[in-house]
Amino acid sequence: MKARTHLLWVVAWWGCSAPEPGPSDPSSVSTGEEVDQEADDDTADDKSLPQPVFANPAEAEDLDDSDGVVEIALAAAPHTHELIDWRTGETLTVEGYAYNGQTPGPTIRARKGDLLRVTLDNQLDDATTIHWHGVDAPWEMDGHTWMIDPIAAGETFTYEVPLEQTGTFWYHPHFDTNRQVDMGLYGVLIVEDPDEDGAFDEDLVLVLDDWIDRVDEVGEEGAVDHGMALGEGLWAVNGLVQPLLELEGGTAVRARVLNAANEGYVALGLQDDGEDRTLARIAGDQGLLEALAEDERVVLAPGDRIELALTPGSEAQALVDHPYDHRGGEILGDAVALLDLEPSGGGDPATVPDLPWTGEATSEDPGTTDVLYVFQGDSSTGEWFINGEVFPDVTVASLDLDQTAVIEVRNLSPTEHPFHLHGLVFEVLSLDGVAPEHRTLEDTVNLDIYGTARLLVTADNPGDWMAHCHILPHGDGGMMTVLRVE
Amino acid sequence: MTRPLLVGLVPLAVACSGSSRPPAQVDTAPSDTSQEEEAEDEVTLPPELDLDVAVTLDGEPAADVRVGQPGTDRYVMTDSSGAATLTIDTTIHGSLAVAASHPDARIKGEEFYKEVPESIELALERFDKGDNRLYVFQDSGTPERSDNTNYCSHCHQTFVFDWWDSPHRSATSNVVVHDLYAGVAAAWSEAAACEAAGGVMRTGLEPGTGATVERCYLGEGVLPALNDDCGVTESCDGVAELTGACADCHAPAIDGELGGRDLLEAGELAYETGIGCDVCHKVESVDLDAVEPGVAGRLQIVRPTEEGSPSFGDYAPLTFGPYHDVLNPRMGSVYRDHYTNGELCAGCHEYEQEVLVSGGVLDETRWPEGRLPVHSTWSEWAAGPLGDAVSCNACHMPPASETGNGADLGNYISDDWVDTATGWFREPGAVRKHAWYGPRSETERMLDLAASVSLEVSQADDAVSVAASVANVGPAHAIPTGEPLRHMLLVVDATCDGDRLTPTAGDVVPDYGGSRARKEAGEDWTTWSDAEVGDRIRVLARSGEWHDYTGFGPFGDGSFDAEAKGLAVEEFVGEVEILGVDSDAVTLSAELPDGDLAVLVRDGGEVPADGGVPSDLAGRPGFGFARVMVGPDGARMVPHFLAVDIASDNRLLPGSSWRSEHTFEGCAEGELEVIASLVYRRLPIELAEERGWEVADQVMASVTWALGASE
Repeated sequence: MKARTHLLWVVAWWGCSAPEPGPSDPSSVSTGEEVDQEADDDTADDKSLPQPVFANPAEAEDLDDSDGVVEIALAAAPHTHELIDWRTGETLTVEGYAYNGQTPGPTIRARKGDLLRVTLDNQLDDATTIHWHGVDAPWEMDGHTWMIDPIAAGETFTYEVPLEQTGTFWYHPHFDTNRQVDMGLYGVLIVEDPDEDGAFDEDLVLVLDDWIDRVDEVGEEGAVDHGMALGEGLWAVNGLVQPLLELEGGTAVRARVLNAANEGYVALGLQDDGEDRTLARIAGDQGLLEALAEDERVVLAPGDRIELALTPGSEAQALVDHPYDHRGGEILGDAVALLDLEPSGGGDPATVPDLPWTGEATSEDPGTTDVLYVFQGDSSTGEWFINGEVFPDVTVASLDLDQTAVIEVRNLSPTEHPFHLHGLVFEVLSLDGVAPEHRTLEDTVNLDIYGTARLLVTADNPGDWMAHCHILPHGDGGMMTVLRVE
Repeated sequence: MTRPLLVGLVPLAVACSGSSRPPAQVDTAPSDTSQEEEAEDEVTLPPELDLDVAVTLDGEPAADVRVGQPGTDRYVMTDSSGAATLTIDTTIHGSLAVAASHPDARIKGEEFYKEVPESIELALERFDKGDNRLYVFQDSGTPERSDNTNYCSHCHQTFVFDWWDSPHRSATSNVVVHDLYAGVAAAWSEAAACEAAGGVMRTGLEPGTGATVERCYLGEGVLPALNDDCGVTESCDGVAELTGACADCHAPAIDGELGGRDLLEAGELAYETGIGCDVCHKVESVDLDAVEPGVAGRLQIVRPTEEGSPSFGDYAPLTFGPYHDVLNPRMGSVYRDHYTNGELCAGCHEYEQEVLVSGGVLDETRWPEGRLPVHSTWSEWAAGPLGDAVSCNACHMPPASETGNGADLGNYISDDWVDTATGWFREPGAVRKHAWYGPRSETERMLDLAASVSLEVSQADDAVSVAASVANVGPAHAIPTGEPLRHMLLVVDATCDGDRLTPTAGDVVPDYGGSRARKEAGEDWTTWSDAEVGDRIRVLARSGEWHDYTGFGPFGDGSFDAEAKGLAVEEFVGEVEILGVDSDAVTLSAELPDGDLAVLVRDGGEVPADGGVPSDLAGRPGFGFARVMVGPDGARMVPHFLAVDIASDNRLLPGSSWRSEHTFEGCAEGELEVIASLVYRRLPIELAEERGWEVADQVMASVTWALGASE
């Protein structure tokens, strides 16, 4: 493998390593094993290694026994990742980074109302931070570097974040973001809602990331990008390529899915013997939905999270990725399995648990716009703008504290963009003029090409908040701005 | 990863084919292979192989030739001896090949069938850069006409489908263009209707066929305006000596001599297919310094002179395009970057003209270079904050993700066949829609993304004050841009408990917003020809001051002071309704207030609706944004062929905004609502009505401010 060059940031090169079972892992799924495929398995013809067994990322140890406080120690350090494609026998070795020696980093589990205290030991050669993606953290704890210095190499910093929201969030650096996330620095933060206790038999974390090894091509003049569209990216779930999840038929599974890729999109589907099945979506970026949503496909942009209710019966199923690219949406190609589900013991499928849905309708759009962001740029030049500006040379928009405001985001560029807002949760009033049936709370929303999103926000968290595209090369390239709440 | 390489006989088909398209006429390159012969064996290749390539150009070793592997971005440049070593990626989906690309030669390469050799020689030949007037432009085809390779649509169906619905395809057959060219109104094809509209039926030429027909001659036109010897008692069709530059951009595919052609020479194919595939991909270079637009100068067309073949026609194929690796000999491809960096667009979307109208005189103190900017989209973009950073294609040619390459690989063409004939897969986003979405696109409402409107409202007991701001928030060029007849109108309305509040002061929609008639102070404001009951008379005042603004060219670079920028401050004074009409005398709902200008309008006062019929908005609270061309008689908002000056140009440059202020009577006790709408009109209402063109208002942005009485 040739040495990395500065050109690497433009390609998708994702660091992962195999997870380990954690001490507080609530899942009963087996881990760290490999299974032999049946001889007549569809995938058996090409495989040269056993299929890995799905495993949740190991969970972080709570170092504080007292109620109401979750204290975690994280160390960001260099790490060698190995991604094994059991189907081809190929192994990709990447010199990257990891939190506590694992990618995804330790899953942090807390309860609503807890205080999260995380001490980060920066053992990297570079400065870094932690951004609590989706969490309305205090401004100085948000991990951005807008007027705040990052944590220098060799230094430690303790984050204290009150957790008032519930759902599946994640953490990652917000300094040199594209590269550091690319190198493997990310993990999941789960904030549990007591009202949902006991609803599911299993609680899974699925961190999706895609790997493409283009290192050998970098360094040759002009040979930065391979240029082939089909079957190129290799998606991994918790660092495992198409792992197998064995579970009892009739089990009700809560699957928390995060797309941690820098720029890769997933169009998630569920298939049963190649036939599309309905995905039961129970939660989005900001916890439980207002009603159960059933979709054939769900597009997960970088930074997006959803929670699914998986209720397999006796038939094998697979979570699949339908080819999708931010440069145009659906692209040619066949669906690729991300995770195989193999029920055992027969039995009827479980029903989706009864959760405290409220059924609340989408708020009325007041018709006015308080803040307008227009995304502009060109994939052929690699230059990206919001309102014609490149971060950090931006005009800071302001909202009054506790003001209810509408943010409109327009996309006038040839790629899709996931718009992410720090520090404030927003309700999606409409996408391309169409209002969601139910109230939809998000922190990251995807914009189609020529698309428009109207977002309702209550400015209840004072500070300067980053607003940016979560395709990380775009964000690092300047597609970021600041929304001030004061 | 290793790859099995079929060793045996693989066909080289140079036309497209595929399971889902009609049977095609398949042309083949010289080859003794047969498609029916089966693979005989497989060998395993390592993932990469080095290939030594020696390139000559007209027999001499050629330096700086780009040698690449089709289907990848891998390439190397040849050294001074014409040599290069290319590392072939054997893991790609599709055939392995090599391609050599030089700006003076058709791309040449080799597809490997039996083995990848250690070395290969590629002999490039310079193409003749002299244009061939005998060449006949290829038929682009239509969505229905695509059954053989005589049509571009045979292999590029998605492109042709998109292009067919685009303004480029209809550039030559556009009724508005032809009406303004000949000075006719095609809508009034019957004599009675023509005469009722003020026109006269004369013998002329039918656009597209050249057939002699009776046409309704009405209003100004390029031919009668430029030629003194015709257009008075007889039409100018076919006899005019001066034809302007219309055809140079609107009908570039008229065969024969390029430039200076008569738009009425555009025959069936050139007329129907407008700016089609072949002419656009015959642009060898773009001369940004040339004054003459389109194929007359800025777009340097090269039609091939080299002898063709029974398969390819009279001349060897020659196609300029955005790729270095197109090996299909039917294309005869040559790479040019003006297909991706937007320079091609500058061929026609940038145009300056001298005074064209007969007898017209340009004020050279205002226009020292002797020309008026007409279309300046390219310059607006280049001077703007996104110039060079965001190409024209980025916004107007979004990705065509439904196809794997420009030849429909993967959709109409099976992805089992990836080779010289079909081309290779392009990465997502590389293949762009040939639809050129713009303000007229019905499916992709780009106007909705272009502008923002915001309101600031304050009220006292006796007055409501409104400040409306309009901004160009999206486009990298001015809005509106392009054809100077296009304009934007800001309309501001206020209601109290649902009843319209009477404006008392503030900016107004200018004259081009539409009116039945206008009269200056001192004229008789009590008689109006063609007035109808329900019409309104709006009285405006001129303060004698001028709006200052930063516009395009001399309107923003310091050359002109506020007065020279020509935007007189006009304010609303009052409005009365016509209750009765007796001959020309009108009975009014109230006494007319004093003012400097009275405007007769047919306007129900409704808020303009998207898709609605345009009404007279002149004099209503609001504002206007346009490049206002002035004719020799002082008429404003004239078509550019009549222009001798530009009165004002306050179109909104990228990132710029404008704030207008308005006052209405008070709404102390009621529920106040203020609505501001930004309306786009591609043609002035009077001109559209004169010619019978059906146009609709397009609402770009609208904002409502509401405050209940209890709040």
